[in-house]
Amino acid sequence: MSKRTACLLLLVLPLVLLGGCWSRQEMNELAIVLGAGVDRAPDGRVRLTLQLARPSAFAGGAEAGGGTAAKQNIVWVVSETGDTVYEAERNLALKLSRCIYWGHDVILVIGEEMARGGVRNISNFFMRNPQTRETIWVLVSKGEAKKLLESHSELEKTSAQSVGFLVRNRAGLSVILKDFQMALASCGTNPAAPRVELQKLGQPQGPGMEEKLQHEEAVITGTGVFKDDRLAGWLDTSETRGLLWLRGEVRKGAITIPSPGQPDKLISLSLVRGKTRVEPEYDGETVRFNVNLSFEADLLEQQSTEDLTTPEKVAAVEMAAAEDVFRKCADALEKARGEYGTDVFNFGEAFHRKYKKEWKVLKDCWNEEFAKAEVNIAVEAHLRRSGLLTRRASLKQE
Amino acid sequence: MAEGAKVSSRQGAFLMANVIFSTLIIFVPTITARHARQDAWISIILAAGAGLLVGLLAAALGRRFPDQTIFEYPAEIVGRWAGKLVGLLYVWWFLHLAAESFRVFGEFLVAIFMPETPVAVLIVLGATGGVYAVRHGLEVITRANEIFLPLAFVSVVVIFILAAGQMNFQRLLPVADVGAVQVFKGAAVALSYFGEIAAIAVLVPYLNKPREAGQVAVAGVLASAAFFLLVMLGILTVYGPDLAGAYVFPTLNETRIISIANFLERLEAVNIVIWITGAYVKICFYLWAAALGSAQVLALKDYRPLVLPLVAVAVAMSTMLHPGILELLDFRWMVWPPYALSTFELGVPLLLLVTALARGKGGRPA
Amino acid sequence: MRKFVRLGRGTAAAAGKCAGGRGDGRAESKKEPADRFKENHFLGPDLQANLARVKEIFKDCGDIIYREFLFAQREDIRMVLIYTDGLVDKDQLSDQIMRALALDAPVAVAGAEITKARAYHLIKERCLCIHQVKETGRLEDVIEAVLSGDTVLLVDGHPCAVVNGARGWESRKIAEPESEMVVRGPRESFVETLRTNTALIRRKIKNPELKIETMKLGRVTKTDVAVVYIKGIVNDKLVEEVKKRLARIDIDGVLESGYIEELIEDNPWSVFPQVNHTERPDRLAARLLEGRVGILVDGTPFVLTVPCVFFEYLHAAEDYYERYPVATVSRLIRFLALFLSLVAPSIYIAIVTFHQEMLPTALLLSLAAQREAVPFPVFVEALIMEVSFEILREAGLRLPRQVGQAVSIVGALVIGEAAVRAGLVAPATVIVVALTGISSFVFFYSASVATRLLRFPMMVLSATMGLFGLIMGVMTIVTHLCALRSFGTPYLSPVAPMSPGDMKDLVVRAPWWAMLARPRLIGWKKPRRQEPGQKPAPPETGPGGKGGGRSGGRG
Repeated sequence: MSKRTACLLLLVLPLVLLGGCWSRQEMNELAIVLGAGVDRAPDGRVRLTLQLARPSAFAGGAEAGGGTAAKQNIVWVVSETGDTVYEAERNLALKLSRCIYWGHDVILVIGEEMARGGVRNISNFFMRNPQTRETIWVLVSKGEAKKLLESHSELEKTSAQSVGFLVRNRAGLSVILKDFQMALASCGTNPAAPRVELQKLGQPQGPGMEEKLQHEEAVITGTGVFKDDRLAGWLDTSETRGLLWLRGEVRKGAITIPSPGQPDKLISLSLVRGKTRVEPEYDGETVRFNVNLSFEADLLEQQSTEDLTTPEKVAAVEMAAAEDVFRKCADALEKARGEYGTDVFNFGEAFHRKYKKEWKVLKDCWNEEFAKAEVNIAVEAHLRRSGLLTRRASLKQE
Repeated sequence: MAEGAKVSSRQGAFLMANVIFSTLIIFVPTITARHARQDAWISIILAAGAGLLVGLLAAALGRRFPDQTIFEYPAEIVGRWAGKLVGLLYVWWFLHLAAESFRVFGEFLVAIFMPETPVAVLIVLGATGGVYAVRHGLEVITRANEIFLPLAFVSVVVIFILAAGQMNFQRLLPVADVGAVQVFKGAAVALSYFGEIAAIAVLVPYLNKPREAGQVAVAGVLASAAFFLLVMLGILTVYGPDLAGAYVFPTLNETRIISIANFLERLEAVNIVIWITGAYVKICFYLWAAALGSAQVLALKDYRPLVLPLVAVAVAMSTMLHPGILELLDFRWMVWPPYALSTFELGVPLLLLVTALARGKGGRPA
Repeated sequence: MRKFVRLGRGTAAAAGKCAGGRGDGRAESKKEPADRFKENHFLGPDLQANLARVKEIFKDCGDIIYREFLFAQREDIRMVLIYTDGLVDKDQLSDQIMRALALDAPVAVAGAEITKARAYHLIKERCLCIHQVKETGRLEDVIEAVLSGDTVLLVDGHPCAVVNGARGWESRKIAEPESEMVVRGPRESFVETLRTNTALIRRKIKNPELKIETMKLGRVTKTDVAVVYIKGIVNDKLVEEVKKRLARIDIDGVLESGYIEELIEDNPWSVFPQVNHTERPDRLAARLLEGRVGILVDGTPFVLTVPCVFFEYLHAAEDYYERYPVATVSRLIRFLALFLSLVAPSIYIAIVTFHQEMLPTALLLSLAAQREAVPFPVFVEALIMEVSFEILREAGLRLPRQVGQAVSIVGALVIGEAAVRAGLVAPATVIVVALTGISSFVFFYSASVATRLLRFPMMVLSATMGLFGLIMGVMTIVTHLCALRSFGTPYLSPVAPMSPGDMKDLVVRAPWWAMLARPRLIGWKKPRRQEPGQKPAPPETGPGGKGGGRSGGRG
């Protein structure tokens, strides 16, 4: 190798090596954020709450932490205020021995007060920061987000993961940051996010558990509906089903209806898949939406004693199921646009897709237009399977 | 000539495809989504069509002078001194492109993955590798490209397939929402990047069969357009026009959204690979063109001694070009399209071709 | 200025009075120091004078034997046998030469008149029962012959010597190759004797087009070297180039083919070898059939083949003997292993230090827990482990068999378990390093050295610049590979420059009936190696049809 090349390399390589490695972060220098919560502090500033993982409690394999003590020390929840979210984070960083690392943040919980005040300003931080991912689940908490993050989970290691997996399993509405942001930006819809709160759920078993008589777990109990970027109100679980139906995001669920021949007894169907089609119509004056829902279900529980395998009974069951779904959708619609006056069903976007010229006129006051619109819902149900039984097996035969 | 390389048509097409594609995925999605909203994909198609014309123009010009590069034949067309001036201007053009590309890739990597690292370090590291490749010449660059480009294209397809879970093709509707003017605006910006196919004017004499230069140009543009269309469609269907126009680098965000079976997630490394390999080949090619051009304009026998100084100049330039990423983006979106199209990509070759035809210079297309 | 090789003919003067048996062609480097023999090139007619000169040259060589005896019991015709003890087959010597000349000669020359003048010709034509005979009149040839194991017969009254090939020495038996084992395939390997090796090749390729040209390299050692190729398939320019480069070699001794390899390489500084070698005759034959040239060196079983492309290191001989699914899967694993052995530790370091977002959350937390206990940064840890592994590996090569077991146990226990227990390294690092180490054994040793060496710069790059640095490093390596040539063939063909037809034998192995052409850049002179339509298919039947049709495969 010529002397010149050697000299050149000698000049260049130290630049790489001696300059230090700026973006290096050893793993044990990271404060791994698992869940984040944004509240409105009493003085009107932003309070950021972070649920940080304590890695030594996560050792896999042979050294899994055992006993309550270890479980309770699995995360550390810290909180700090600031004028903006980032300022709160930096204030918090002053108190932490490690770098705050957002890369594995699972959930973002917006406190109720914050949500009512408007979320547009706080979501910007989470979109700009390269470390926060677009797949973070967004939730609204009833009450303070801080309390939620301070809770523990029995099944999972951390409550952030527990809530995250809950949402991932589509217990109710599931919204990732990207969808939330898109809904904020769109004129044709308003955001909605699942509501999470603490509920007494079950009792931990095992030695050393006497102190904890009841466990409070974070669960999804409904949906928070926004108007523009402010929280307008809540939908309960049943209305959430309706919301899901109208948005076409329903995955699985139970439909419990009275048995056709014995209305005082109930049967339960398990939803397999559902399809939604929304067709807007506009005749220059009224906006009309024709919603066609269709789904397939399996019969999974029967409290009545009649034989439901005959075609007439099947048809009756399907009718009843359709009726039930219709009810739920109607309830959701009522609540959302009647009481809160907001379109969270993406109907505006459907309208935009079909009537782009008219949309230009209507989009600025879409929520009001939507409140006046006619919505016709037609539901079609199909009972496909009945589990392992045809008729009830435990009845005494004559 | 100073470079004895011979490149087959397929290799040439690959090279051109990579050169165009690497810049396309950086700049075009955001600005086109801003102008044309959900019709951005139409803008791309229009731009690709126009890009074909630009490519064919450059190829036609090259075919008239099958043994000479664009640094040499202007001397024949417009006279010695004016021709040398044109050649020098093209050297400047390639150097500028190389410096811009250095800066862009450095900035993006820093912005997204390594915020604390100074951009200059990344650029110098890249340049060191680049010097090595450029000194070896066109053949080595082309061969390396034959390895990297299929990787990049396959990755694009894989990402598209994996992100399908988050895609909603209804977000592409309604079509023709914003009006034709906006669509054309988006297409114009994209065209200035497709127009880099004009670089084929340097490549023509090194092709095995210079008469196939037109096919090489067409293949290059079409290949990069096809895969870029996949990328664009992916972005639009996953993010919709509002977010797509807001992100700095939507391609990365598209990759971040992938989550299959709760296991196949966090695949940004794939993006980095596509990005860096594309940038590497592209920058090496431009630096090689600049070095070759300097040698030819100055009538030197070998371009190799010029490589190191030119790379140093390019690196220095890249740090001085823009104060920050925002200005860089603004420059590339607003200022660059008219500048590039009216001069080096379209304007000058057109003028040269017309003059050559008028004056009867150059042989029949071989 | 070094001159070209002139092959085949000795100088005219040597033709002299001898028939000047040519035997195999010989290369004479004009730089052969003509020191001691300058004035004494040739033998004289006087036996004692010749003998004296030979003895002078072989002074203090105790293993050179001079056996004087009489031809056909005639007192006036003396002969001397000169040979090297240990290099000759004593039985042949005694029976075919001595007995033939001393005892059976009268019978053999019955009828002819035995005079001193005619003795030589009678010996040469009638009496010697040995299978190979050469004549020479030059003293140097006599010396060379004796040292090569031939027996030289000097006859009084004649200025020529008869060289008998009665070589026989202790040599390793043809056994299983130790460096290229196969499960299925021939288990012969080359040995240290050149002639045995050429015979092994001849057995594989029974075609007169297989040319074997010998030469001697090494000023002091005068090692026999043979260039082997199949004329008509190979590119003639390639053969010329090989011979040219070999002729350029001017060193003291050539003890192993590796000496030659380093002297004829295209890029002597590169970490990657550009000349391939093999110990197996079947591999050599396969490569010759593709249009390559082989270089055999006496004294080593390793035969060089040129030109060499990178992907040859990922192909094993067995790939061609097993069916295509087995071969394809093995190759894919080898490619994966190649990739891993180069970048696995670097990826680990890069992700753990720079790109933690690429890990799944559960894995991140688990790794973070492990790393809490370790005092070093990942890079230092990985470096320590890698170096220890390399030391272990080197020790494993050098140590005597008996100690081997103990060392491997010590290695595994100490390095693996104890280091983790002591909190010096994290278990994940141990796994990564072990995987890397194992991967490098999967493919050919010479290439694995390259990846072993390059692994460390990659680790440094990824520790400083993360994935970006790693990718830059890998790209620089790829560029270097793209720029390498081996005797004119680009090192990375058939990938770059791409020749789609060759892809059939790259990562996958197409079945034999699909491999219609030789590698494009090497065997282009005669590209078609088999006729299409070899795929086994049921015979065509039909009314008055072709009856047997194609009965599957080649006959």
